[in-house]
Amino acid sequence: MKIRLENIVKRFDDNTAVNDFSAEIESGELVTLLGPSGCGKSTMLNMLSGILYPTEGKIYFDDDDVTYMSSEKRGIGLVFQNYALYPHMTVLENICFPLEIKRVPKKERIERAKKMAELVHVEGMLNRKPGQLSGGQQQRVAIARALVKEPRLLLLDEPLSNLDARLRIEMREEIRRIQLETGVTTIFVTHDQEEAMSISDHIILMKLGVLQQYDKPQYLYDQPANCFVADFLGNPPINKVEGVVEGGKVILNTGEDSLVRVENVPDGTKVYLSFRAESVILDNKSPLKAKVVMTSVMGKEVITSFVLGGKEVRGYMNSDAELERDQEIGISFKKTGVFVFDYESGERYL
Amino acid sequence: MLRKSRNTEMNSDNSASREPFSFGKILMYIILFIGALVMIFPFYWMITGAFKSKLEVNLIPPTLFPENPFNLENFIYAFKTAPFAIYFRNSLIALLGCIVTCSFTTILAAYAFSRLRFPGREVIFSLLLSLMMVPYEMIIITNYRTIVNWKLHNTLWALILPFMSSIFYTYILKGFFDSVPESLYQAAKVDGCSDWKYLWRVMVPMAKSSLATIILLNAIATWNSFLWPMIATNSKEVRTLPFGLYAFMTEGGQRNERMMAASTIVVIPMIIVFLFARKYIISGMSRGGIKG
Repeated sequence: MKIRLENIVKRFDDNTAVNDFSAEIESGELVTLLGPSGCGKSTMLNMLSGILYPTEGKIYFDDDDVTYMSSEKRGIGLVFQNYALYPHMTVLENICFPLEIKRVPKKERIERAKKMAELVHVEGMLNRKPGQLSGGQQQRVAIARALVKEPRLLLLDEPLSNLDARLRIEMREEIRRIQLETGVTTIFVTHDQEEAMSISDHIILMKLGVLQQYDKPQYLYDQPANCFVADFLGNPPINKVEGVVEGGKVILNTGEDSLVRVENVPDGTKVYLSFRAESVILDNKSPLKAKVVMTSVMGKEVITSFVLGGKEVRGYMNSDAELERDQEIGISFKKTGVFVFDYESGERYL
Repeated sequence: MLRKSRNTEMNSDNSASREPFSFGKILMYIILFIGALVMIFPFYWMITGAFKSKLEVNLIPPTLFPENPFNLENFIYAFKTAPFAIYFRNSLIALLGCIVTCSFTTILAAYAFSRLRFPGREVIFSLLLSLMMVPYEMIIITNYRTIVNWKLHNTLWALILPFMSSIFYTYILKGFFDSVPESLYQAAKVDGCSDWKYLWRVMVPMAKSSLATIILLNAIATWNSFLWPMIATNSKEVRTLPFGLYAFMTEGGQRNERMMAASTIVVIPMIIVFLFARKYIISGMSRGGIKG
């Protein structure tokens, strides 16, 4: 099912949680709402599920206006961070519950629930209570319960946050598999950029209630729309050095020429030079010099911290170089993964 | 449940016997033993006394065990002079009436105060809570007037009507309902579950142990209540057991062995209930204690 969000605004008293949010979500896709806490992503999800109604704007499911439709009529499945399973019911009863409310005959109910349990791989524990299951198994049951009534839209609210690191990776792959097998349009809310990058068709990145960028994960990483997007994605985090534009050159605060060129930016504009750790080249012929602080070996790669433009930054270096503390090195940048943002507005110049 | 508690007792016995007996420990056990004896003795004395003859009960030195343990004369007398069967029936009707109605209103009220949003919710709830500070004896006067005005004085309704709701039990149950995560409610709502169905299908089964506590506390309170039945009833047909016992004391003359037989009849049902449900009572009391 295709979802269209038109100029959604949500205000709580005088606090605007979501501001002028417009997006279209294609049928059958898994789209992640990503952002730091307080960015309005959960509010957005609650408006999609009908727990909250927007102050302004419209929500369409295909061509139906569902803006003020109550939750149960929307045909959605909801999965919560704390699983929200009914503790006194068995796994089977939990999965059956949405069908029981819809007055599906008991025989069909159990049949459909069992099929769903097989899909999420909990068919061996149908008679157990949620308390006897691990976190990952509970989340599988919660997904089965959300999917059993064949919703048009599956909403997942931080479903992996209560799991430990290994289970989280396993479960996110499972969610992706289940989503692909059922083909249900899915919206996934998380604050974890790695989770979002690994399972989404598209990511919607939000900040303070405003949509920052809506793109494929790789584009988000390669072509960030602004400074916030570049900062939010990537591990290690992107390096940021302050500078100023002079005649199309980005001059660092320490007076060195960064060798990065921008066009159509007035002289004297204060900027951030941002570059990914993998975009640094060790090039001793380069006139741009930096001082090594420390190196740490991470398996096949060596990550080197060095001081550039008065800031400590990090880059992946060739492990053969054997750099020492306080050694002066020459630096240049690759064509990709290097950006120039406005110091104030975060607007991207390069 | 009983089996479980017995197991834990056995375990603690085992671990105690493995440790060397210290003087402090022996002293502790002696003190505890004396304490238990002091608690149990009146009950023992009442029950054995009920089987003794008039002569034996006044014997000095007293006998610790009745000469004829199958002497049911006193029980027969008690049943003959005072209609304990009717008292028992009345107590049972009052008990069931109070438990059923009070549990029902408590569940609805606790759910409303915990989950439903309506204007003045907090104010109304604090007002109701503040009523808990009004001593029971003060309410009796107004309750009595109401009952008399409604012409229900000296009927079984008079024993049930004032106890059809309880702020205290509502408060306990609301505490439990508050602890249920909101997401359960949202999950059910998204599936199209009504508030009514959610309450009975999800909340109430989850609150089973809280409800058991409430029902037990209510049962004990109703069974033992004395002051109100004494005021609200005055004929034999509607008396309950405790007041019946009191009436027996004045009507039946000073015959200790008969008194004890009557007391035994009154107490035994509650002792049986207690034996079966002590786990709930204890946990309910301590939980109520923490929150209240």
